[in-house]
Amino acid sequence: MSRFGLFQIDQFKFAVSLRLIKKILQNSKSYDLPRLPRTISAVLVDAGQLIPLLNLRQMIGRETQQEHLTQSYQVLVESEYGTVALPADLTGRIVDEQKGERSTIVEQEVDLGGVGSFIYQNEDYSILDINFLAIEMTQVFWQNQPDTGGARRHQ
Amino acid sequence: MIVDGSKKLIFRLGGTGFLLELGDVVEVVERIAGMLDSSRSDIGRGIVSALQFRQTWIPVVDPALKLNIFSVVKLKDKKAVILRGSEGNWALLVDQVGELSAAENFHSCEIPFLLKVSAMGFYSQVKLLYNEPMIVFEPERYYGSTAVSI
Repeated sequence: MSRFGLFQIDQFKFAVSLRLIKKILQNSKSYDLPRLPRTISAVLVDAGQLIPLLNLRQMIGRETQQEHLTQSYQVLVESEYGTVALPADLTGRIVDEQKGERSTIVEQEVDLGGVGSFIYQNEDYSILDINFLAIEMTQVFWQNQPDTGGARRHQ
Repeated sequence: MIVDGSKKLIFRLGGTGFLLELGDVVEVVERIAGMLDSSRSDIGRGIVSALQFRQTWIPVVDPALKLNIFSVVKLKDKKAVILRGSEGNWALLVDQVGELSAAENFHSCEIPFLLKVSAMGFYSQVKLLYNEPMIVFEPERYYGSTAVSI
């Protein structure tokens, strides 16, 4: 049975497959490192590991200078490229997929991977494609490389 | 001078902590106001000024420029860490110089794959000090014949 974790940051609601969620941290301290990609706002330290914190507000066009200072939760999610953290103001519930409805229509103006959305109690949650978001972090680098093969998206 | 190679010097730039091998350090100059000559800069090599140190002028490098770190500390209020290099002494501008810390207090920490490409050319190691990430400062990246200007 497939389940989703439902979260929200500002007015943006998103869903993450439960099997990808490793841990949810509350008010975890974050740190700046120099030369982070624009899509990363800071790093967290969890169990002796550095975890990139995605600048989700920047990706949905609501960036603020205080991005990583104002969110309350950090959702640690496994990707093909290692663990990443997603910021959230509200941590929602864990919901069986059968209790909602999946839609492949992406109403979100921002392209966050195009997986579709999960509608639960009349609320529309964008299903995040974590691998897409993770590789998005490296785009600036890849775009500057003469031969990146299949690493580029939207080819 | 006896150098304790098992200790590291901690300094800060903006909100970021760095650690430096104590063996590379000649001296820390806490007050640099009045000892700088900004006309002796060579921005292409990362040199922002010259500092009078022990009856001579030595190049001053501001790593914040290369690392793209925003600092609210004014130039006159910065500290200089004097390092020995292949071309003689040079000064590293920092916001704060912290305490010395024993090597065993630092724990190795891998840079995540997704951050390696952006860190490339600037730093290659991060260590944790009481769970805070500290960048291992590699002086050769910032000054000397092997440094690459940006």
